[in-house]
Amino acid sequence: MSPADPAGLGRARAAGFVLPALVLIGVFLVFPALWTIYLGLTDYRLTGLAAADPQVVGLGNYTSALEDERFRNSLWLTVQYVLGSAVVGQAVLGFALAWVLRNRPGPVKRVVEGLVLLAWILPSSVVAFLWIALLDRDAGTLNALLHTPGFAWLLDHPMPSIIVFNVWRGTAFSMMLYGAALENVPPSHLETARLAGASTFQQLRDVVLPRIKGHVLTNLLLISLWTFNDFTSFQITAGGPEGRSEILPVYIYNVALSGGQLGFGAAISFLVLLVNLVFAFVYLRLLRGRREAVSP
Amino acid sequence: MISLSGLTKEFPGGVRAIDSLDLEIADGEFFALLGPSGCGKTTLLRTIAGLEAPTSGNVSIGGVDVTGTPPGRRDVAMVFQDYALFPHMDVTANIAYPLRIKKVPRARREARAAETASRLSLSGLLARRPGQLSGGQQQRVALARAVASHPKVFLFDEPLSNLDARLRLEARTFLKRLQRELAVTTVFVTHDQGEALALADRIAVMDAGRIVQVGTPPEVFHRPAGTFVASFIGSTPMNLLPGAAQGGALHVAGVVLPLPPGVEDGPLVYGLRPEYADLSQSAPPERNASFAGKVAVVENLGTSYLVTLDTGDALVQVVVPEGPPGTGAPEPGAPAWAVPRPGRALLYRDDALLAHI
Amino acid sequence: MTREEPDQHHPPPRSEGRGRFWTEERPQRGTSEDATREDAASRRPEPRERSERNQTRHALATIGRATFLAVVLGFFSLPLLWLASAPFDAHPSITTSVPEFTLANFRSLLDNPYALSSLGNSVIQAGGSAALVVVLAALAAYALSRVRVPGRDALLYLLLLLSSVVTGTAAMVPLFELATRLNLIDTHLGVVLTLSGGLLPAAIFILKDFMDGTPASYEESARVFGASPLQILRHIVIPLVRPGLATIAVWAVANVWGSFLQPFILLRDPGKSPGAVILYTLYTEGGAPRLDLISTFSLLYSLPVVVMYVFVSRRYGFRFHGGIKR
Repeated sequence: MSPADPAGLGRARAAGFVLPALVLIGVFLVFPALWTIYLGLTDYRLTGLAAADPQVVGLGNYTSALEDERFRNSLWLTVQYVLGSAVVGQAVLGFALAWVLRNRPGPVKRVVEGLVLLAWILPSSVVAFLWIALLDRDAGTLNALLHTPGFAWLLDHPMPSIIVFNVWRGTAFSMMLYGAALENVPPSHLETARLAGASTFQQLRDVVLPRIKGHVLTNLLLISLWTFNDFTSFQITAGGPEGRSEILPVYIYNVALSGGQLGFGAAISFLVLLVNLVFAFVYLRLLRGRREAVSP
Repeated sequence: MISLSGLTKEFPGGVRAIDSLDLEIADGEFFALLGPSGCGKTTLLRTIAGLEAPTSGNVSIGGVDVTGTPPGRRDVAMVFQDYALFPHMDVTANIAYPLRIKKVPRARREARAAETASRLSLSGLLARRPGQLSGGQQQRVALARAVASHPKVFLFDEPLSNLDARLRLEARTFLKRLQRELAVTTVFVTHDQGEALALADRIAVMDAGRIVQVGTPPEVFHRPAGTFVASFIGSTPMNLLPGAAQGGALHVAGVVLPLPPGVEDGPLVYGLRPEYADLSQSAPPERNASFAGKVAVVENLGTSYLVTLDTGDALVQVVVPEGPPGTGAPEPGAPAWAVPRPGRALLYRDDALLAHI
Repeated sequence: MTREEPDQHHPPPRSEGRGRFWTEERPQRGTSEDATREDAASRRPEPRERSERNQTRHALATIGRATFLAVVLGFFSLPLLWLASAPFDAHPSITTSVPEFTLANFRSLLDNPYALSSLGNSVIQAGGSAALVVVLAALAAYALSRVRVPGRDALLYLLLLLSSVVTGTAAMVPLFELATRLNLIDTHLGVVLTLSGGLLPAAIFILKDFMDGTPASYEESARVFGASPLQILRHIVIPLVRPGLATIAVWAVANVWGSFLQPFILLRDPGKSPGAVILYTLYTEGGAPRLDLISTFSLLYSLPVVVMYVFVSRRYGFRFHGGIKR
């Protein structure tokens, strides 16, 4: 543990360092968030009478959201999306890549890492277009490759399509984070396990995982949050067909901006915030448990 | 001169790292803070540097009270255990860093860095980064950086502990010569009693936040103030055997020894350094004043052996010089006698030194 | 004191695991083949079979790894092929094909009044946001890393949560009204401030990790020599966490570069719109996508972020986790 305040910053100057960031965050993040919570309690609409003079309707938006079949369906799709594309897809593929590519210099590593990163840093609108082109029913590259002309990936299997898309899009972050984490595993520990005859799986379970548990949790939290609130899939399926890929951010957009029910949309945003809070809380508990286990 | 009075440092949670401590360090002195890990010696050094603020008490340097002065205005230089060489700067920039802070023009500070570097035989390495230096070279760069700042006081935190054993001896000699040449008051922290004895003019032995003894190396070696110092100083731990004074004689581990006059009856601790006893493999003339037993363990120390004797009542260790060429070590299991040299054993009562016998 | 010794601050060289394992196993095999001592044989039953099994396992692992990498390579490159071929194709379609090579698409893109200037707008908005985010996040992360504030972690997590939710669609209405009242509509500054506010929490979160990973003794050492906190930050801390700062800068630029919703809502003047918005205007009057323009523009629009990434990762390294590389 580092001693407090090695640079002699002092409370006052530390506050001065933090303040500019906090002001910007306060004005452009916290304030709109509070406003959203307020809007969630009104019947505010984009057009019409309620646009000029919104009325406070209390928890009405929340009760109607929880009763709404479309909302519950959307929540369930979001859970599938987060679990499938982030927790399983990105995290597992990212770890596998980091593990296979570790200590492996040379062109193969550079090319693989470069491509995975390219998928991550390209602008989302470009990426969305690339996937529409790839999966197109009539002229898509994938159908041409698989000799399945006319197979409508985005219409018949919208959820698997956007899940695979998001794995493609976001694996880079997990790969990089795990790559850095694996550098912290002392080679002697792995060699000890190998000399004791441990299989790769046993090495991962007994040596690597306990060592990088903190990184795993940080990674899972960040990618879960990002995936939960990711809007890119809107540019591919727009939530369709018939709401079969309408995850929550898309649902909110459809309700609030397309449908004009701003108050209702805001209420659902608040529900999303609550779900995210639960995620973060579970993560914090796990992390604290880890700290206690490390230093009793 | 550095003087500390009533110095106390309490960390959040109630741990007292330093406990109302008084100490005076003379100008030009090479002073060691010695103690086991966790005894508060590093905290004390950091408090002198100003990196920790004392909970109560005062620190003064050169007659000026600096208790509230920030570290940068105390005119001290510190060498950290990990050297803290800035990895993104080359050797010149590292050595010249204190001068850069003092706004010395670039040409002058680089000249002074080069001069200091040559004094510490670092001249060929000026353009290297710390990562490209060996441990010994890094240590000298850290020293050079401290020297270049021309401070009133040097503070060294375990300056030799990151070096391997052989290099440490060379570095020790080098450090002592450097301090003699510069004649700057130097306080250094170490857990290695050999280092403290070899380098320091005076040693403060610390335990649990307090100073238990201050003295020159011969003083702390020959007249340890308590059993803690007695067991801590010395390359092989001192034999400390429980005994009792009764009717003018000392009873310890089945042996009855004469007592100097004036020792009252009651429990005592008998201390004897393994170097201050002779091992006899046959019954010696002074057998009544010797510890008789069987050889239990023999450890080779190069030109001598450390023999552990089991007397039945206690274990007694003796350092035995090697014999003439061709003779071997004592055999485990063989009978032997440990004969204390007169005037070398110490008697402690209530953890205070009572007498030599 | 002239002896060289291995630098103790460098980790020992990583051994190429499997190869080393083999050289250590070989002698066992040799002795058991030559010597027929029964106790040795009974202690290590069937050593030859074991090493053969290891050999098979080794071969299988190599094949498995190669297959895995080949599949990953295919998966990640397949969608990108279109971006490489269509811009140069005289008759681009959605299918990836060997192009009938032409540069005419680039010329027709130049005829579009907003295409090139939108890239300039992207540069202004992304550069401005990245600069703001890096400076403010570095200051805040440093203070939070070095001075103990009660509830610091909880606050960071809360802000991180807010940032991932509020930057979504729901807060668009409040953001729009806020920007209207602050006179930030139709300004680059409005886009920069709005996006920076959303990026800052994650940036602070990641940078704090870098700051936590730098040993305090560097700063203490400088402090004993009399450096002020700002000097310490400038001379010591910032050079040490430069990879982290570079990473955050790239991350912020890539994020702003791809942002569509905020500039779409906050800017009405197409002359100020960034590439992400202009890309959605490249349709025919009938509403069909103009593939020649879209593919060409996508390529031009993507190149700057890629070039920047390559530059930064070459120069500083690109990593999301702290610790110092010496």
